[in-house]
Amino acid sequence: MQASGTKLVLGIYTTLFLVFLYGPMVVLAILSFQTGPEGGPQFPIIEWSVYWYKHLFGMTPPTRIAPLPIEEALVRSLVLAVMTMIVSTVLGVTSAQAFRKKFTGSGFAFYLIVLGMMVPGVLVGLGMALIANALGIDRHWWGTTFVLHVVYTYPFAFLVMLAILNRFDQNVEEASWSLGVSPVKTFRKVTFPLIFPGVLSAMLFAFTLSYDEFSRTLFASGRDLTLPLAIYGTFSVEVHPNVFAFGVLTTLFSFALLGTYAALMMLSIRRARRVAIQEEA
Amino acid sequence: MAMTAATAEPASADRPARKMPDRTLWLLAPGVIWMVLFLVVPILMMVYVSFWTQTTFAITPTLTIKSWVMFFSSDTYLSALWTTIRIWLIVLAATLIVGYPAALFVGLFVRNKTVQTVLLVLCVIPFWTSFLIRVLAWRPMLGKEGAINLILQGVGLINKPIEVLLFSELSVIIGMTQIYCVFMVGPIAFMMGRIDQSVIEAAQDLGAGFWRIFRTIILPLSMPGVVVGAIFVSVMVLGEFATSAALSGRKVNLLGNIIVTQVGSLKWAFAAVAGVILTILMGIVVAALLRVVDLRKEL
Repeated sequence: MQASGTKLVLGIYTTLFLVFLYGPMVVLAILSFQTGPEGGPQFPIIEWSVYWYKHLFGMTPPTRIAPLPIEEALVRSLVLAVMTMIVSTVLGVTSAQAFRKKFTGSGFAFYLIVLGMMVPGVLVGLGMALIANALGIDRHWWGTTFVLHVVYTYPFAFLVMLAILNRFDQNVEEASWSLGVSPVKTFRKVTFPLIFPGVLSAMLFAFTLSYDEFSRTLFASGRDLTLPLAIYGTFSVEVHPNVFAFGVLTTLFSFALLGTYAALMMLSIRRARRVAIQEEA
Repeated sequence: MAMTAATAEPASADRPARKMPDRTLWLLAPGVIWMVLFLVVPILMMVYVSFWTQTTFAITPTLTIKSWVMFFSSDTYLSALWTTIRIWLIVLAATLIVGYPAALFVGLFVRNKTVQTVLLVLCVIPFWTSFLIRVLAWRPMLGKEGAINLILQGVGLINKPIEVLLFSELSVIIGMTQIYCVFMVGPIAFMMGRIDQSVIEAAQDLGAGFWRIFRTIILPLSMPGVVVGAIFVSVMVLGEFATSAALSGRKVNLLGNIIVTQVGSLKWAFAAVAGVILTILMGIVVAALLRVVDLRKEL
């Protein structure tokens, strides 16, 4: 597009849009450096301090403000995210492989899988809680919650893999087959390196979405809290800057994951390029 | 998402063509079984339980429509249904209005691929951060002593803090718009990026102004993105309860909030009724939107 006046206006708008998107997070981050324990969750900053970060790790003398129950919750959330990541990536890769051949009922299967990311957590969570009740099963984060997390993240893995598989040249695999290489070895040596970026993306989706997942977890987990549930618990009471400090840390963790992902992607692209150059030479 | 038909499959002796459906079946079965067991069955269970008999602290599988009658004769529940629909429509419109121009700029006006990627990544990064923290971040923004009131007072636009900003329907709408506009911007920017620049250049060479080009080329070609975005936003807003719980101070009760409260007081059958109504509402909305665009083709 050439229209430079329009471009300028839209550019300014997009800048404001980004401020709207990130502004609250920035304000939250600033307020997490409020002094404690008497400083509240609002401006002005009485004095800059890392009191609330210390409070988070139990490094401050006890006050009337209860520490966030994050220690065990963090372990649970991480274990849950890893479990979800492994299972939904495996399911995503296998189902996407199946979709490379036309088959009857492919439309139905496609929508059934995609439904998992569309149906709101409150509904599946409720349904799962009702089933657990009726069958007399105890609800746990590693059981009922885990299967629901996979229901949510597996469609993402599936779509990512489908997009990757649609793009790559089937002839490469066929060449390998016709040279007498077994299907298993072909998958390991030919297919997998080609779909690796997709697998990585699927893993990123599954891990981060499960780590932050809340509404599915609310009804489906029992007494043991995961991180989002611990945060939700603070909603009903007065909010103190320790929640803000936690918000900053968990956001930084998400950014670190994204950064690792980007670095791995870059490495994989560079390696692919190097291999291509070597083959040309 | 167009499936590439694998017609050029070599049917060699050791891998007869007849075997392929078998392989497809084995690859597909685990995922489909998982979805049936943990997605379809729970939803069906919810429908079933909505007809169970609710006693004070328990439910018994004696079929009745009492919970349904109760839902439709209660002002609280009906107003929750109405609030849900109203908030959904407002947030849907707001995310579209707020997100579309940004998507237009990122997808079409930025010609430098690197800058475009960076902007797109900036727009979708919040998706990978904690939803609850993003909701909570609006509290210090909107409060009576919040950042927005402080700035407006500092500039001199107002001399008394605007109290309606927090713990009101407005705060819920602002919060949801910010959280969900990401899902609008992504698909629209994606469709914008696929528009062939030469078509627009041709229109310009023929003397069409920006508005004409926008109306006749850009808008129709970006529609699939709008519909996909609308489906995402609709489904998520209709199933919401955390934003209204955190930002409305219990003033805004959505169907989701009704479900949470009912589960909290062990009224499972009532919760199930609210859940079924929510499911039907979503089904209607998504079906209507899918009539406009075939998701499988456009993703």
